[in-house]
Amino acid sequence: MSLTQSLATAMAGLRTTQAGLSVVSANVANAETPGYVRKSLVQISTAAGSLSTGVRVDAINRQLDQYIQRQMRVESSGASYADLRAQFYDRLQSVYGVPGADATLETLYNDFMAATQALSTSPDSASARGAVLSAAQVLTQQLNGMTADIQGLRSDAELGLADAVRQANEAMQRIAQINQQLGFATANEATTENLLDQRDRYVDQLAQLMDINVVPNDRNQISVFTHSGLQLVGISASTLEFDAQGSITANSQWSADPAERSVGTLVLKGPNSGDIDLIANRAIRSGQIAAYLEMRDQILVGAQAQIDEIAAGLARALSDRTTDGTAVSFPPQAGFDIDLTGLLDGNSVTLTYTDNLSSTQRTVTLVRVDDPTALPLSNAATANPSDKVVGLDFSGGMASVISQIMSALGATGLAFSNSGNTLHVLDDGAANAVNVDAVSATKTVASLTGGSAEFPFFLDASASYTGAIKSSGSQITGFAGRITVNAALLADPSRLVVFQTSPLTPSGDATRPNFIFDQLNSASLTFSPQSGIGTTGAPFSGTLPAFMRQVISQQGEAAEAAASLKDGQDVVYNSLKERFNSSAAVNIDEEMANLLSLQNSYAANARVLSTVKEMMDTLLRL
Amino acid sequence: MSITGIGSRSSLAVQALVDMRHRLDDLQRQLGTGKKADTYAGIGIDRGFVVGLRSHVSAIGAYDDTISSISVRMNLAQSALDRIADISHTTKSNAFAAPSIQGNGSTLAQSTAFAELGEVFGLLNSQAGDRYLFSGRAADQPAVETLDHVMNGDGARAGFKQIVDERRQADLGGVGGHGRLDITGPTLTSVQVAEDAVSPFGFKLASVTSTLAGATVTGPAGSPAVASVDLVTNPNDGETIQFRFNLPDGTSESITLTATASATPGPNEFTIAPSSDLTADNLQAALTAAVDKLADTSLTAASAVAASKDFFGNPPQRVVGPAFSSATALVAGTSTDTVSWYTGENGPDPARGTATARIDPMITVSYGLRANEEGIRWIVQNMAALAAVTFSPTDPNATERASALNQRVGENLDVPAGMQKVEDIETEIAGAQSALTTATDRHRQTKSALSDLLTQIEGVPTEEVATQILALQTRLQASLQTTSLLYKTSLVNYI
Repeated sequence: MSLTQSLATAMAGLRTTQAGLSVVSANVANAETPGYVRKSLVQISTAAGSLSTGVRVDAINRQLDQYIQRQMRVESSGASYADLRAQFYDRLQSVYGVPGADATLETLYNDFMAATQALSTSPDSASARGAVLSAAQVLTQQLNGMTADIQGLRSDAELGLADAVRQANEAMQRIAQINQQLGFATANEATTENLLDQRDRYVDQLAQLMDINVVPNDRNQISVFTHSGLQLVGISASTLEFDAQGSITANSQWSADPAERSVGTLVLKGPNSGDIDLIANRAIRSGQIAAYLEMRDQILVGAQAQIDEIAAGLARALSDRTTDGTAVSFPPQAGFDIDLTGLLDGNSVTLTYTDNLSSTQRTVTLVRVDDPTALPLSNAATANPSDKVVGLDFSGGMASVISQIMSALGATGLAFSNSGNTLHVLDDGAANAVNVDAVSATKTVASLTGGSAEFPFFLDASASYTGAIKSSGSQITGFAGRITVNAALLADPSRLVVFQTSPLTPSGDATRPNFIFDQLNSASLTFSPQSGIGTTGAPFSGTLPAFMRQVISQQGEAAEAAASLKDGQDVVYNSLKERFNSSAAVNIDEEMANLLSLQNSYAANARVLSTVKEMMDTLLRL
Repeated sequence: MSITGIGSRSSLAVQALVDMRHRLDDLQRQLGTGKKADTYAGIGIDRGFVVGLRSHVSAIGAYDDTISSISVRMNLAQSALDRIADISHTTKSNAFAAPSIQGNGSTLAQSTAFAELGEVFGLLNSQAGDRYLFSGRAADQPAVETLDHVMNGDGARAGFKQIVDERRQADLGGVGGHGRLDITGPTLTSVQVAEDAVSPFGFKLASVTSTLAGATVTGPAGSPAVASVDLVTNPNDGETIQFRFNLPDGTSESITLTATASATPGPNEFTIAPSSDLTADNLQAALTAAVDKLADTSLTAASAVAASKDFFGNPPQRVVGPAFSSATALVAGTSTDTVSWYTGENGPDPARGTATARIDPMITVSYGLRANEEGIRWIVQNMAALAAVTFSPTDPNATERASALNQRVGENLDVPAGMQKVEDIETEIAGAQSALTTATDRHRQTKSALSDLLTQIEGVPTEEVATQILALQTRLQASLQTTSLLYKTSLVNYI
């Protein structure tokens, strides 16, 4: 072995040390760069024959734990899902207001009841009447405002989706680009490692938006799939498309049918595959996009349905009058007569009969439907879980109505006929296979002075609220946003007391004020299970205040659960991140220690050089 | 969720500090508001309960407002009723004093009654705020007309004085009407008294009783009733015959005629003539004179009292006419021809139910009043009867008539048994008032219990929050110092 060899070896040592220094300096410089993974230098000795002849840089490695990285990506989807959900719930909570504050649904409802109570004590007092009307107006404005807020949140979710889709597309493009670049790169070079760092960052970004599966292949390339197995990125990237809608109202709903859909949908366009609707396929279950979708299409729609139920309850409690049919008998047939005059679109007739063959009582609800395209109705059109619902088109006159009933009910043994607007419902007489137990009609009172306590206190803009069903949906959808105090009542507050003009109701007559108070306070209503309160089999039945309590409880609970889910996810995610960082993050102290040892090693190598030089000089002086 | 954007290691440390700062802000809010949370989510499991509690507290507040406004109404009504009862007592004691007719044609009792009737009318129009207390459901309308209209009429609408006058004509039967009686001698020895028609007016024959020897009394019988006495032989000195009449106000009066041997008979005496047919003439003359006098005194007074029943009834009744002196029936007055004294709401239901108030979820009190309730109307109509009649100081029968009227009104104001008294109304209102008192007490207790519960659930103890703030502050300071120390203790500083 020659001195020259030692010189070359020392030179190699200096080179390697310099490379080490550059790694340290890169680590220190990038200590705070997001996505940067600490690099370490791998050096090996080179040998020739039996002698070690030098050292060289073998690789620059990224210090990361891939198992934790994968785990962290799954949890990061979960964490951003939980986080966004909690954020939305938090904002939704602000729609319900500060508990007990002036502008909350509960306070305004209580105020309305208190004003009604005062009116029933002083029906003649103009100020008591005015107070009832202004309390009612504030209450309807609150409901209108809450609707606007909830729809605003849905609109934000829609915009959020558009934004998330843009970010996802960007990340997917970048991942695909890096995949392509990696195809030409040599492994374990600094540039390659930096590309990997960058790509990981984009994958992390994508993982926050949706739940993804990352499958690595050779040459460091990766393929990204959705949870359901649709490929998002390979060598080239697919594109997500989202057609955000500018204005979102309570009636804007997602539907698999493009003709009925009035909110944006998420379509995946593959480079060499057809369009796939990711919402219809439920392809995205976690991440921000899933949270946005859940909010826009379920949670906020449910919250809206709840306040719609409250609004509808308010309107119906005061305007619906149920009258029982009059018993009639044409021996051997017996049954009931019911007058259908004034039955509005959405009003109903309830018919109860006993099938004597099976001794079961059955209930049929006949609903007037003025939009024939909405027919036939499903049995879920009423809150009653056990009734058969028959929608009736009245445009063909009573004869047509009767034939519609007959064909919908089939062979029950019941006989239907009419005289004028009066419907006769009779049993089968001597055969006695069926008995009619009761018939009643529920009509929406449209006149302020119709002679009864019921009156149209609240209106849907300027029309009666009847719960009419149209092919575009039920009148209840978004009703909370349209409910208003009857303008005719505002123009003439005396109608809060005067329920008939001949003979004129005395101004101190408390009949109607008492009715309002009783209905608001203690009338039992049945609420649709669409509100998320009660179930289809056992719908929630109770007073308006009880329903409101349920709504507030349920929403509060959901928000609290969302917050604790978020906290839980954060703990998991943060601890994973902590663990990931313990290997991947740059520790300045460690780098400094490395720096010192590199410095030493540089000095030592230099020393070898100078020693070899001295030895050479000695040799030359010989 | 962690913050990204700066290096992840320091971001975790910063995150912990930020979280602590948020917690500190929240505690500060708790200290400021005294509330555990500013969302329903933050209240925890009791959130639905809290909403229920608050609605309960609000309802109690509303009930309390109701109680305070109706207790004012009840107090005002009670003091009005107290005063009306007082006035009725004063009028009664005035009525029992001996009448003396003043220059204005009224007795002292009458003048007082008129003045006090004015006060009663004022009391009946009492208002609590804008609400008339005695109008039943028509709380925005005065309960009664003005006293002037009621007494003197209003344009084409007749007032009480006119009704009294018409009734007087109908009861007395005009000049020579003898209080609607025909007194004749159908045979030489007999005297016959007959009602002139079937009518509610004038004297009604009740009985004829006689101690006259040799006289045959027939009747009263038939419709219209007829009674006669036939002096078959002459009566003896000092024997009597008594005619009893029912008067329109429900009282009865009798005329007792005594046979006398004296040729100059005193009042209510008749001279025994040599033959019974001449004695019968004397008897007829004495009876006619006595009936005429009774008509001018008691019947006139009774007529006024009867007219008060007619006029203050619902609807008011008046004599069919003109030609009132021969009238035989009453007819309901209409709103165009007769003043209706009560202008509030009339209904078939009890007056108390015309104003009700809920003072508790389960308790409703009724405190409605109508001015034409029997107890009040009775006082008004009797005082009006007393006030409506005037006397001429030169009329020889005036004092006696005044006394007949005073006596009737005085007795009437001792409310007959079984009839509602003003005191009965007061008792009923007082029952409602005591319900208010107990409800108020109960509300106060419930409200304080509920508010306590609310504070327990929603509120935060100041001491606890303050302690937490202190603890958190210490922790935050320590963390900040440690963080700063950690950043400082880097090898960088020591190379």
